[in-house]
Amino acid sequence: MTSRSIFSDQRTQAAMLIAPAIVIYAVFAIYPMLDVVTLSFQRWNGLDATKEFVGFSNYVDIFSKDPVFWGAFRNTVIWTILSTIFPPLVGLLLALGVNQPVVGRNGLRAIFYLPVIIAPIAVATMWRWMYDPFFGLFGQVLTSMGLQTWVQDWLGDRNIALYSAFVAYLWQTVGFSMVLFLAGLQGVSKTLIEAARIDGAGRWKVFRHVTFPALKPTITIVLVLAIISSLKAFDIIYGLTGGGPAQSTQMLALWAFTQSMQIFDFGRGSAISVVLLLITLSVIIPYLRWTRKSEENEE
Amino acid sequence: MRMITNALRTGTMLATLAMCSGAALAEDITLWTLNFSSEASNAAMQKIASDFEAANPGVNVEIVTRGVDDHKTALRVAAGSDRGPDIFFSWAGLGLGGEYIKAGLSLPLDTYYAQYNWDDELVPAAASFSKIYEGGRHGVPFTFKGEALYYNKALFTQAGITEAPKNYDELVADAEKLKTAGIPAITFGGTVNWHLMRLMDVILESKCGIEKHDALMNMKTSWKTEPCAAASFAELDTWSKNYILSPFMGIDNAQSFNLFVGGRAAMMLEGDWLVQQLAEAGNLDDYDVFPFPTGTNRLYGFAEYHYISSKSKNPDTAAKFLDYFMSTPVQQASLGQFSTTSINKNVAYKDLRPLDQKWVDIFNTFTQVYMNGDQAFPLDVTTEYFRVINEVASGNMAAADAGGQLQTFIDNRR
Repeated sequence: MTSRSIFSDQRTQAAMLIAPAIVIYAVFAIYPMLDVVTLSFQRWNGLDATKEFVGFSNYVDIFSKDPVFWGAFRNTVIWTILSTIFPPLVGLLLALGVNQPVVGRNGLRAIFYLPVIIAPIAVATMWRWMYDPFFGLFGQVLTSMGLQTWVQDWLGDRNIALYSAFVAYLWQTVGFSMVLFLAGLQGVSKTLIEAARIDGAGRWKVFRHVTFPALKPTITIVLVLAIISSLKAFDIIYGLTGGGPAQSTQMLALWAFTQSMQIFDFGRGSAISVVLLLITLSVIIPYLRWTRKSEENEE
Repeated sequence: MRMITNALRTGTMLATLAMCSGAALAEDITLWTLNFSSEASNAAMQKIASDFEAANPGVNVEIVTRGVDDHKTALRVAAGSDRGPDIFFSWAGLGLGGEYIKAGLSLPLDTYYAQYNWDDELVPAAASFSKIYEGGRHGVPFTFKGEALYYNKALFTQAGITEAPKNYDELVADAEKLKTAGIPAITFGGTVNWHLMRLMDVILESKCGIEKHDALMNMKTSWKTEPCAAASFAELDTWSKNYILSPFMGIDNAQSFNLFVGGRAAMMLEGDWLVQQLAEAGNLDDYDVFPFPTGTNRLYGFAEYHYISSKSKNPDTAAKFLDYFMSTPVQQASLGQFSTTSINKNVAYKDLRPLDQKWVDIFNTFTQVYMNGDQAFPLDVTTEYFRVINEVASGNMAAADAGGQLQTFIDNRR
């Protein structure tokens, strides 16, 4: 077989094109991932020359002895549920709004999308000052309206801190869902909408029976991306509350970071990361299967 | 052609010889430290290095600065390799600097302490941290920070307080007077855990005394069964419910400082570095300071240290540099650049502002110190200590349960 015929083979071409990406992916994603799994069975403080194998000890510790882990787990679940509901819902409403021929439509789209391109840590800083109970925007506005009793310690009261942080997260991420829904809306058949209207369907019925079914693939993508993004929630919490007060807004991703990079217990931090990885995989794998099935159906 | 080849060969040989001789003569030491927020501090550090190089031909001092977290990470990376600093910055205490010492990264300096008679020059309280480790003396002081109660004179007068309290009970009585006058006694920022921790630290010193407090911080006595620990958490609960400007869990130390300067609270538990901040933000004459009246005759404070790495190839030169750094002329020349006061006891203070003078008097009064909880505890216990303090302060955990929770965490440690 000549070199020319080798290179003209489609599978070889594909392999050559994929190879650099595979190498980079293997070095910067697969290897660290495997290393984290290995590290979760070891004890290491980043200083000792050797890493001691401890079996499942790190997992036993985080599940039974860590006073923060289950709180972080619960918060991550709450955050994920909220992220699955609100950013997609508000994003859909915004998309439906700015899909109409309203004045300044493009400007509104840009304004709603703008927070997405701001670094989360900058968003956190901004919102932290708005939430300041003494000098912050919300406190000032409520006080000027004579509602000073409504002023809360937004980020310092454990009963509301997580939700206060979520509002900032919603503000930042809703534009992303909106853009995806806008793209989806462009694919909704105008002929079908027109036909439904001729048949006497009102706005709600058109949405329910034409627009919504056409948006189902987009909704699935938005929901899955929202879940994955929420499971990784880190910087906004780190910047707003640092996991406080008293670890009451702690999340799994941030707690893994804290254990590894601040307490320098790399074994325990890795064990938390592995738990988070397994949760994420439980979402991603069904999504990948669904995507593959959809592609097969289209073919 | 041959001439050119020979010339090149000769040139290469000469260059190689020059490089080899240069390498033989030059002695490099590297100091890893923080990128200080004050430009004056960074400039002073560079100047000291340059002056040392000028006084010691053939010695190159490289100052490498990083942010706090980057610095900690870099030290851990260096621990796993044969490359790293000759001298590194860290805080004193078993929790932070102690980790590196435990891991064998710090060279015991007993011989250098004797050789250079450092104890004759150093402020005893600042040097005392070098003795707390097992296996010899580690590190030399870079700065020494004291923490005390700053107060707003006008608010104290308004509440009818005429003099600084002499003991803890008097302080609580004064806090009550302030409360009665409608003035929050003290301000803290809860989001940075260490700020509120200071209150717990000083209460522990007040309620437990030296021996029990040290035993608790060294985890040699039980937080669950020691009555003074429960009493201290109860006091923290009282302060948070009655005397701390609320809400405080959702603000940080900078916001807390703004509230203090704005006259919203009467006191603030801060370090000697606050004098400069107060001077920049307001009128220094409006404030005064007194040590937290614990009754134990120890000053609340912490030290920043320079350690010589056990991996240093030039420990003698590193020690020589540290000796130069701590010498009276250098410390005198750099006074105020790193800290209000020097770690060298022979440094003369002239034309000090009244609050700076107060601090010098405080440093001269106390010969013993007790350190911040986050520098005394190992990192994981510190994290739990923060959590328990915050839970009590925000009313989510009964003070009686707090010691037990902390002790359970300590008992569960590997």
